[in-house]
Amino acid sequence: MAKPGTLSIVNVSKKYKVSGREFPVLEDISLDIAPGEFVSVVGSSGCGKSTLLRLVMGLDNGYQGEILLDGVKIKGPGLDRGIVFQEHRLFPWLNVEKNIGLALQNSPLSPAARRDAIREHIELVGLVGFEKALPNQLSGGMSQRVAIARALVNRPEILLLDEPFGALDAINRTKLQAELQRIWQVEGITMVLVTHDVEEAVFLGDRIVVMQQRPGRIKRIVPVTKPHPRTRNDFDLLQIRESVVAEFSNVAVETVIA
Amino acid sequence: MSISRPIPIPSTPLIRRAAAFQAALRRPDYRGLYLPAALVVLWSLATYFGWVDTRILVSPLETLKTAWHLLISKMLWVSLGYSLARDASGFLAGSIIGLLLGTLLGTSRLADRLISPTFHAFKQIAVFAWIPLIAVWFGLGEPAKIAFIALVVFPPVLLNTFDGIRSVSRDYIEVARAFEFSTLQQSLRVILPAALPQIFTGLRLGLIYAWLATIGAEYFLKAAPGVGNILIDGREKFLMDQVITGVAVVAAVGYVFHYLTARLEKRLLSWRTRTDVP
Amino acid sequence: MNAQATQLALGSPTLSPVRTWIVPRWIGQSFAVTARTLFLPLLILGLWQLTSWRGWIAPQILPAPTIVWATFVELIRSGDTPTNLLISLERVGWGFLAGGSIGLVFGILMAQFPSFRAYVYPSFTIFTQVPALGWIPLLMMFVGIGEALKIIIIAKAAMVPVAINTFQGIRNIPENHFEVASVFRLTRLQVVHKVILPAALPSIFTGLRYGLTHAWLALVTVELLASSEGIGFQMVWGRQLFQLDVVIASILVIGIVGLSIDLVFSLIESRLLRWRRAAF
Repeated sequence: MAKPGTLSIVNVSKKYKVSGREFPVLEDISLDIAPGEFVSVVGSSGCGKSTLLRLVMGLDNGYQGEILLDGVKIKGPGLDRGIVFQEHRLFPWLNVEKNIGLALQNSPLSPAARRDAIREHIELVGLVGFEKALPNQLSGGMSQRVAIARALVNRPEILLLDEPFGALDAINRTKLQAELQRIWQVEGITMVLVTHDVEEAVFLGDRIVVMQQRPGRIKRIVPVTKPHPRTRNDFDLLQIRESVVAEFSNVAVETVIA
Repeated sequence: MSISRPIPIPSTPLIRRAAAFQAALRRPDYRGLYLPAALVVLWSLATYFGWVDTRILVSPLETLKTAWHLLISKMLWVSLGYSLARDASGFLAGSIIGLLLGTLLGTSRLADRLISPTFHAFKQIAVFAWIPLIAVWFGLGEPAKIAFIALVVFPPVLLNTFDGIRSVSRDYIEVARAFEFSTLQQSLRVILPAALPQIFTGLRLGLIYAWLATIGAEYFLKAAPGVGNILIDGREKFLMDQVITGVAVVAAVGYVFHYLTARLEKRLLSWRTRTDVP
Repeated sequence: MNAQATQLALGSPTLSPVRTWIVPRWIGQSFAVTARTLFLPLLILGLWQLTSWRGWIAPQILPAPTIVWATFVELIRSGDTPTNLLISLERVGWGFLAGGSIGLVFGILMAQFPSFRAYVYPSFTIFTQVPALGWIPLLMMFVGIGEALKIIIIAKAAMVPVAINTFQGIRNIPENHFEVASVFRLTRLQVVHKVILPAALPSIFTGLRYGLTHAWLALVTVELLASSEGIGFQMVWGRQLFQLDVVIASILVIGIVGLSIDLVFSLIESRLLRWRRAAF
């Protein structure tokens, strides 16, 4: 039996069928993720990285290969995995507290324990005082914090993040990346981040999975050994970032970063 | 940190414009009163100088007098009571049918495919065309009137319920799946609240149509105590003042429904964007 | 066991691969669509016929579909339905023409001139809030129950949606369209021609569509109430003679006209939308 939070993706391939024709999205993906590890998956749009995440979550199915969480094959969604989407997907008719509470709908916790869990997670994402606010009263960054709290409140073994900061402005994105780093360190759970932002991937990840498109394949896996907490402009990180960016293009590296 | 800390509202141009618009709405604009005032003056002059047959067109003052007499009479309120009771029964029947059918068509593809084409064809029949048939099937009394009102109410309720359920975002359903919601939980916690605004719109439309249908039913089916009867009676006796009062009462009731449902909607669905300008 | 084997083992009734092999796919599909569209009407028709065969319901209350059909055909052959329908359509035509043009002009004026709107809009709202059934008794006292009453009521019914949709269509044109126009220094006339009209057209069109639908509805109402000819009268006449087959045949005609109005407009609209997609 593997330790909680071990994710094994073994020879996974997936095809989409569009009007009778088959299009390969993922081809022969194999990846082992250790408990407590932070793995970033980068690739340009259309490389199937989000599909991979959705397969792990169990939202999509119909693939070849195996995806195992703690040695058990994944069959559909489960509370052992949490997910944060690019859009916050909060229910607009529920306030912050109740949106987070929604995740506990099928949890074995007692009502009192649920209240505690909700309070703790509101604290964790720094939204104390906003318990009763409705989603339309929150900024994009705040909404995404609630989404993170909602994904974590079940204490999943693994947190899946599907371009969670893609819709935020640069300042909020930087802030939330730092927050996520802190939360990861506090919670110590496995996280898989899908992003097209190389800087974000390198800043947060222990390993960077570089994907290429059509069909989606793993091109390279880059380890980032720098210990957390990291600073954004660390020289080593900058170098890794450049080498990853170089994977995506032959044109001048500087323009891509800018 | 206190919980009652005010929630900051971001100040975007859109919100500022909406606020300006609302402020403009609050400031009374008297220009809108000139036209009705001019009409009343013309009306007074016409009756005063005898430009029209004053047996038909009564002066505004006379009309006001009649209106006042009707308002303090028991007859008006009893009639109104009858009409409203009819309205309520028809609305209740029609909206229950609409809600059930709309839910069925919204949740079952098969039912949608089998029933919707027929429903859409049926909807094209001008609704008053059913009156003669209803008269034969249900007689001319109360059941016929209620059946007619229900017939008018159910299509908008059905359509909006159907639409509301069908347009629930897949994104929300995925969230529900991620948290392992059962079908019941998904229906009650996700689909119902997400569809509620539109279901409410349907019910609102239904209520407003129901009132029109009530007057229509009182008009076309056998006369019975009700507001419609005040109109018919006034016309037959050439009592213009009574007709005008009756029309005003009909319009006022319609407006009250409109206003109350708007208030209720605002209260129930306050989670929708606060920048929503009516 | 693989998926196919499971299906065989369970004796699944889905034979779609076989069917696509025998007949072209689209024939099978359109057949399925037709079949399920006609399922309910045929079911109702079947039950209806059954009730009259078995004599469950008296023919005075529900004549058999065969009788209704015979009457429907007979009314057309004798010229009753065509004559009445033509009269009705003429009324709708004039009423819609009058109401539609007034609504169009009114909507444009309200959208383009804020002071006009300030003077007129409240009165317009009151006017629209009072239903046609409220205006009918008042109008009857002024213009009697002749042709004028019908045209006015139909025109009012058509005018309201046209005016509102025209007004809102112009009002909802995004400010930045006008900014672009001013950057290119378009004249006022050019703005109307190049910006306002194309941008507001879909909404105006929706208004016209509702206008015609409401006009048809108003016609039926007013003909039921006060008329000696027209399709609505044909229905009243059938009812007075206790000839329910005439009533149902007339309902059928009313439904067919309503359906045709809807169909024609959605055809034009889809063309319009296609043009719009191509334009942007």
